[in-house]
Amino acid sequence: MLEGKAVVEDTDMPAKMQAQAMSAASRALDRFDVLDCRSIASHIKKEFDAIHGPGWQCVVGSGFGCYITHSKGSFIYFRLESLRFLVFKGAAA
Amino acid sequence: MSDEARRGPAGAAQVVLRASSEDRKPVGSGSPPPAATATAVAHKIQLKSADMKEEMRQEAFEIARIAFEKHSMEKDIAEYIKKEFDKNHGPTWHCIVGRNFGSYVTHETNYFVYFYIDSKAVLLFKSG
Repeated sequence: MLEGKAVVEDTDMPAKMQAQAMSAASRALDRFDVLDCRSIASHIKKEFDAIHGPGWQCVVGSGFGCYITHSKGSFIYFRLESLRFLVFKGAAA
Repeated sequence: MSDEARRGPAGAAQVVLRASSEDRKPVGSGSPPPAATATAVAHKIQLKSADMKEEMRQEAFEIARIAFEKHSMEKDIAEYIKKEFDKNHGPTWHCIVGRNFGSYVTHETNYFVYFYIDSKAVLLFKSG
């Protein structure tokens, strides 16, 4: 059960995949401390690589800006508790 | 190959101060910089982690300095840096700038750098 509800800020991703990203984040927060952004990001990225193939990237934090290029249909930026999550698949070469 | 971008103190932090040997000038700014920039403050850079050749690393530092001079918002700084690297070294680069973030990324060999410029972290890597 989610303590807080995730809020999608921006996305280019099917609804099912969005839900997977947010539930992966929720599980990561159950497992790791909220200050351990790197482990949280690692957990989410590895789960997406396992489910949807390699090439996923994940950034987690409370204060960052970024500029990326992502594959079509593979991007989500959402809020959960005090953190923001960016999950995307880098553009294919 | 995957790599972790680490935050916080690194065992072998390296302080790199501004070198004046660079010949490059910022391009495409609409308004000319004010004359009072003769005494511009050098931004202090601390390298945290890198899988990148020295020359490209130095270029990243210089471009980051320019980005911090031109922009104040993190996303604009990240945009400037990423676009410069896409232009100079081919697509596809990604850049994250901020005070507080952790990440886990996969990057191409030899194309990853993570450093602090003043109090902000910059993560720049190539993937795809």
